[in-house]
Amino acid sequence: MPLTVFKRWLIGLVSGAYGLLYLYMLGDIDIGTAGWSWHNLPWQWAHLLSQRSPWQFEALAMLEMGGLVILLSPVNLLIATTLSALLGLNLHGALALRQSAHCTAISSAGVWPSLLAGGACCAPSLLLLLGIPGLGAFVSLFAWMVPLALILLLISRFWQRRQGAPALWSLF
Amino acid sequence: MHCRYLLTLLGLVYLGATLPVQAQPPAGPERVLSPSHAMFNELLLSGGPGKEGIPAIGSPKFSDAGDADDYLKAQDIVFGVYHQGEAKAYPQRIMVWHEIVNDSLGGEPVSITYCPLTATAIGFKRGSTSLGVSGKLLNSNVVMYDRASDSYWSQIAAVAIEGPLKGQSLDEIQVTWTTWARWKERYPQTQVLTERTGYMRNYNRDPYGSYSPLHGYYIEPQVMFPVTHSRPELHAKQMIRGFRTSQVAVAINREYLEQQGVVHYQHADRHYLIIQDSRLDTAWVYESDARIALDPATLSFTQDGPQAPELLGLAKVNMIDAMWFAWATFYPQTVLLDAPDSL
Repeated sequence: MPLTVFKRWLIGLVSGAYGLLYLYMLGDIDIGTAGWSWHNLPWQWAHLLSQRSPWQFEALAMLEMGGLVILLSPVNLLIATTLSALLGLNLHGALALRQSAHCTAISSAGVWPSLLAGGACCAPSLLLLLGIPGLGAFVSLFAWMVPLALILLLISRFWQRRQGAPALWSLF
Repeated sequence: MHCRYLLTLLGLVYLGATLPVQAQPPAGPERVLSPSHAMFNELLLSGGPGKEGIPAIGSPKFSDAGDADDYLKAQDIVFGVYHQGEAKAYPQRIMVWHEIVNDSLGGEPVSITYCPLTATAIGFKRGSTSLGVSGKLLNSNVVMYDRASDSYWSQIAAVAIEGPLKGQSLDEIQVTWTTWARWKERYPQTQVLTERTGYMRNYNRDPYGSYSPLHGYYIEPQVMFPVTHSRPELHAKQMIRGFRTSQVAVAINREYLEQQGVVHYQHADRHYLIIQDSRLDTAWVYESDARIALDPATLSFTQDGPQAPELLGLAKVNMIDAMWFAWATFYPQTVLLDAPDSL
């Protein structure tokens, strides 16, 4: 049985919010004091792929809109979109399994890897914000969190599919 | 005969032209080091971003003081440098994203460096090379590298800890941690680093917190990265003023210095005079082989710092503002001057 419109909207909102949160944690979206302006760097391929840290790329332009600052990095945007789309697919699979499953354990199992993986992306920024002592000991592991999240979300989605979750093309 | 002189002269010119350009930073004076300094290269930790992940500014653009009023508030922190008759200010909110500016003052190539984790702003003579951010930390403090030899340099210790120049020290120039209003008052002709850095950053936000009002990393008692030594006398993030020579490292409690105005300190046969500069909210340190009998009433301050007959000909020692934990971990043997009986 297909998911209700409400649930589909909910999935869209959660995954969209996750993408925005990811960009906020990177600093590509920020709220605070700003003016109204547009700045951009002269186009160069080297700028596009220039890394600030593993899995975080330089912005090519900056848009200030009153209290909102947006740094535009196409690669960061692509990663955020991919992660939020995979999170949405995982949530959809989990809810579909919950609706049809005979076993509660199977139905809810699909949600946790996706949320865990999604949360992992923001861990470095969260730890910095919270001022966790001894953060340095884990910093070298943070480089693995984005690829880990992508892999976990993919594995989780394949697992859901094997459990009978609807195929990707059935969503459209 | 004339021909021989001419040939000799040409030969000397040729030899001069073929001498290697000083690519490496000029060597600085010997300074005390931590008892752990031999292990510094084994204590390097990744800070998160990789090499050059925090991009040093290589082509800084400046405005004059009048234009800087458009993007700086009176209380904004700037790192001011007055060197060989030229004054420049580097706003903290720009430096926090780049940590190093490769610049020149009075025709001399210098690197102005800032580590947000230890709150240390230090200027170095860089020769014809430039410095970059290595992505490594030592005792929570930025480790720089020079692009000529790829040697790694500790900012606070100002010494190479890895690479071909290991063991060499850097020659420093004084950087003043103050506010924009105070700096502009003393150096109205100052140039000011602008946000046209060649990188896109939200310069209105400090990723570590804020100095005005004080919050975030800058006030939390926790230190984010492991350090080799700690001393409990002060709050870890309390700002002190420090200096070190070949014989001694000294930290001065800022409040204590403000109360005293001038503080004398003697170590072995060396005498030090620490002078509070209230208008600029900084301090100056002088060294002598005899007690410096300064009458504070005769003291005045100009762009060259304190002026008094007793200071003429005395050697200045570079003073560094730092968080207490950072100074204490690099100089666990440090003297702390925070009360009359500590002298």
